[in-house]
Amino acid sequence: MERRPAEGVAPRAAGRPETPATRVAVDIGGTFTDFVVWAPGAADLRTFKVLSTPDDPARAVLAGLGRVLAGASEARPSPSIVHGSTVATNAVLERKGARTALVATAGFRDLLAIGRQARPELYDLMPRKPRPLVPADLAFEVDERVDHRGRVLRPLEDAEIDRVVAEIHASGAESVAVCLLFSFLRPEHERRLGERLREEGLAVSLSCDVLPEFREYERASATAINAYVSPVLGRYLGRLAREGPRAAWRVMQSNGGSVGLEAAGREGVRAVLSGPAGGVVGALHAAGACGWGRIIGFDMGGTSTDVCLAEGRPRVTREGTLDGLPIGVPVVDLHSVGSGGGSVARVDVGGALRVGPESAGADPGPACYGRGGDRPTVTDANLVLGRMDPEGFLGGTMRLDEEAARAAFGELAERAGLEPPPGLSPEQAAALGVVRVANAHMERALRVISVQRGHDPADFTLVAFGGAGGLHASALARALGIGRVLVPRTASVLSAHGMLAADVTRDYGLTVMLPGTTGADRLREGFAPLERRAREAMEGEGSASGLRLERSLAMRYRGQSWELDVPLDDDPPGAFHAAHRDAYGHADAGAATEIVGLRLRAVLPVRPPELPEAEEAGPDPGAALDGERPVVLVAAAGATVEPVPFYRASALRPGHRLAGPAVIVRDDTTLFLGRGDEATVTSRLDIVVGVAGTEVGT
Amino acid sequence: MSVDPVRLEIFKHLFASVAEEMGGVLRRSSYSPNIKERKDFSCAIFSSAGDMVAQAEHIPVHLGSMPLSVRACLEELELGPGDVAILNDPFRGGTHLPDITLVAPVFTGPDGARIGFVAARAHHADVGGMTPGSMPLATELYQEGLVIPPIRLVAGGKILSGIRDLILANVRTPQERSGDLDAQLAAVQRGADRLGGLSDRYGADAVGEAMEALLAYAERTTRRLLSSIPDGTYRFRDAMEDDGRGGGAAAIDVAITVQGDAVRVDFTGTDDQREAGINAVRAITLSAVYYVFRSLVGLDLPSNSGCLAPIELVTRPGSLVDARRPAPVAGGNVETSQRIVDVLLGALAGACPDRIPAASQGTMNNLVLGGLDPATGLPFTYYETVAGGAGAGASVPGASALHTHMTNTLNTPVEALEYAYPFRVTRYEVRRGSGGRGRWPGGEGVVREVELGAHARLTLLTERRRLRPYGLAGGGPGAAGRNLLVRDGREEELPGKVSLDVRAGDRVRLETPGGGGWGEAGET
Repeated sequence: MERRPAEGVAPRAAGRPETPATRVAVDIGGTFTDFVVWAPGAADLRTFKVLSTPDDPARAVLAGLGRVLAGASEARPSPSIVHGSTVATNAVLERKGARTALVATAGFRDLLAIGRQARPELYDLMPRKPRPLVPADLAFEVDERVDHRGRVLRPLEDAEIDRVVAEIHASGAESVAVCLLFSFLRPEHERRLGERLREEGLAVSLSCDVLPEFREYERASATAINAYVSPVLGRYLGRLAREGPRAAWRVMQSNGGSVGLEAAGREGVRAVLSGPAGGVVGALHAAGACGWGRIIGFDMGGTSTDVCLAEGRPRVTREGTLDGLPIGVPVVDLHSVGSGGGSVARVDVGGALRVGPESAGADPGPACYGRGGDRPTVTDANLVLGRMDPEGFLGGTMRLDEEAARAAFGELAERAGLEPPPGLSPEQAAALGVVRVANAHMERALRVISVQRGHDPADFTLVAFGGAGGLHASALARALGIGRVLVPRTASVLSAHGMLAADVTRDYGLTVMLPGTTGADRLREGFAPLERRAREAMEGEGSASGLRLERSLAMRYRGQSWELDVPLDDDPPGAFHAAHRDAYGHADAGAATEIVGLRLRAVLPVRPPELPEAEEAGPDPGAALDGERPVVLVAAAGATVEPVPFYRASALRPGHRLAGPAVIVRDDTTLFLGRGDEATVTSRLDIVVGVAGTEVGT
Repeated sequence: MSVDPVRLEIFKHLFASVAEEMGGVLRRSSYSPNIKERKDFSCAIFSSAGDMVAQAEHIPVHLGSMPLSVRACLEELELGPGDVAILNDPFRGGTHLPDITLVAPVFTGPDGARIGFVAARAHHADVGGMTPGSMPLATELYQEGLVIPPIRLVAGGKILSGIRDLILANVRTPQERSGDLDAQLAAVQRGADRLGGLSDRYGADAVGEAMEALLAYAERTTRRLLSSIPDGTYRFRDAMEDDGRGGGAAAIDVAITVQGDAVRVDFTGTDDQREAGINAVRAITLSAVYYVFRSLVGLDLPSNSGCLAPIELVTRPGSLVDARRPAPVAGGNVETSQRIVDVLLGALAGACPDRIPAASQGTMNNLVLGGLDPATGLPFTYYETVAGGAGAGASVPGASALHTHMTNTLNTPVEALEYAYPFRVTRYEVRRGSGGRGRWPGGEGVVREVELGAHARLTLLTERRRLRPYGLAGGGPGAAGRNLLVRDGREEELPGKVSLDVRAGDRVRLETPGGGGWGEAGET
């Protein structure tokens, strides 16, 4: 990003959460751009959605902000705005980033093209690799070499720099990624190249800045993504700063934190998974308000479902990928499956009922949207089962076409040759089948992040959000033995809500490759430069007061090839043995350990907005009752259609208790309670479901 | 139909989830990098009759062969509740010795009926034998390592520690092996628990019916594919160019006869087995056949034995693709399996040219360097397989620099390697110009050059150094691979299969084959 003075950025606001400014979160999604507004002293959060403008995402953002801040008095302090955008992500997905060149050590210019030499799909006779960000003719080499101890084997001569800079200049590249072998041990060669390239007016990303850690392909990939997206993201953020309201801006990051505008534009690679990261922070924040730290997040949207597991804080991974390309820098650890409300059901050639990964998307959308879609989707299935209120969708602004949904399922039932159980129509039987299949798929995803990684789901609260999460959450919890579901009041904009609570967070790492027995002094010395960088960066954000530094070591047994993160303490080998036992069930106290890397997380805490607590009412939710409708219910004995009460969420008050079966209709989501489930409304108007024990079915 | 389309799909997810969970347990609790990072293992669920119902997708070469491990246990052992069998004997349910498989039956209860089996296979980094890594250029099986016939490792819930000790006493890295075996045990135990849990939740009969229905489903889908291939007999012949023991080329010959929705795959015309490690047991041949047809069906079919039902495999005992004891077989998995795929695809290209790619690199370029690290005084063994070019298809250029067909393991990062071993990588690049010419050019191979910092023993197990990967429809062949030793500034070409001493300062350079091209160049 160019270092133009970011007009409108009120310094210091990020570190001064007590400033009584209005706080706004803006999260761009595929269909909607979500806004969550917290004004000091206001009785409530304000949330709304604006249709996204993919051709020019800033338009929707600026329009929504105009709405938020209309009429704000000049005397009020500038608002603070946290922004999560898909600009960086889409630049990669659509390959619309800057024209990017790579400079590598002589002999290694194909680093990005070779990757880890594996193909993405096992059973593909004609495999393709992910489309590279750097075309082959923009991959350059320089004659230089550093070894694994940081010794220069071949110095980088000035003439060599001149040569490659001239070649790059002639190539028409706009941005350059530089990744030389072992540059994290001896960055001079990269730095000298970087200086010269910057003098030519090129945007430059150095691997020793972006990800100073070993494994050259992953480091080069992170650096290339950074070089590719940062100019685009920088221009976009610069425009918001210029054309948007005077405000203190922060930008959501993929690690669950946020940073200032300028840093965000310089380090675009750190923003590529920021949307889902907001959801994880939001889910943790909502559960935390109830006093619960261990959560399984379940974000079911239109085309896919993201699931994650977290214990008090977002769990991050360095193995994240975007469109097959390693991201390298820490990102929130999510698992995604192609099953959402818009997923289309069909019968495949072998006669199995398949749901997804194809999605009807937002346009035409499910058959019941009445926009020309005629294929049965998961949303249509829920409507056919009576679990949604056709009049209550999007706050009643859009009427769902039940006839169209039924017609779509009539056809599916015929193709599937399903024998409807007594009491159910063929359409209902097919719809029930689709919901069950979708649930089976999502249950499998939830198992991947919990049971497969050694966690018992029963120890966690399932936090359901996204447009479609509430319809499936209690059935999934039942299948996994989870006793409690939390549906936050802001479920449909939870990602934006989470952004308000995202601490200013920056991650640093450095490969050192030291024996596990290395003394504390040496380690302190190793951390010092990282800490210096962190402090400088945080001061750049406005203030470093209140800065929290979390130091950890990436360790392994000597000879192994993967690492575990261990918090820094007096006895690194001991801590590592314990962590290894925790993670893998065994440890080898006699084996030598190795400190592969130092890791530092710098956190400037942001106080989440405190929501006013609504007044307690009695347990009787009668006032919110909005009649009864026939709903398909399932019990061990079989399926039945029974009248089920529907409640309007807007009329629910803290303390209300609702017994399943019941349906709670919110403006933008619906919560379905099965038989035996019991829901309670919290003082913040979140809904907590005590999930009834085992019951086969949905 | 007792299992409706909904149940079918739900059980597909349920069984796949069990297999995945076993894989998660195995990977998480294993010890060696080969399992943990390169993911050289597979886990699967089987019906009571021993048919594979679901497999966690990892390694194609394990696919068709795992049911044979279960079948061997069914035939040779009467496994009861709480028993777990172990085996690696290539001639009794295994493939090559480093692949050790654990099999456990699952019952409804201590006196209950058998619901099915679960199995976990992992590639162990060493199982004894002539050289570290257990992939020597041997002349008989016994030189390749410890042979384990199907026997009980656990009986009635109790580990037979004598068996375990015997195994660990015959390998070079017992601690690592012990950790990996425990991980496999944990995986089959988890799989047995979860499969038992499904039976508790849905009833053993329902689980059994679902297994049968899923097998039938995969069979139907495969038959549909076969129906789309024109009837006829399609032949192809290619060869392993050299057996590493001076025996010259060994031909692999196939005749594929498609008739309606069934197919007969006949390898009778293949050469005899050799006194060299390029022999493949029938299980490997079956895996290659499975891989080809499974890939043709499409990407999202469950990996189960039903796919094989419409396929009749004919092999001649004692031939290269159906080796008999005591033939050495270490290279069957890693080299011969690739050529079997080549001949299968070559034959099918005669039937449906639009769906078949030209030959891919056809080798895994196995490279082993072992010796003493002068810096630490400790022995080291470095094993790597190197990518190459993929064959082009009708309207698709071949991809460059990746693993094709029967393997998909990762490379070792250059920086990780230089930290761990006394050598340095001097080049790692795409081998430009190696892809076959054609309207759709073949993918390019790779150049990987390593400079030794210490004396070491070099073993190469490579193919396609003379016989080039074929092109199709007029496309040119991919370039042959080359193995070079650069010593004192002079380049010396090494054979495809060789074991020799190299010294500090030497460079070993592998130039891997390109893929074949498709269609005549210049055609539009």
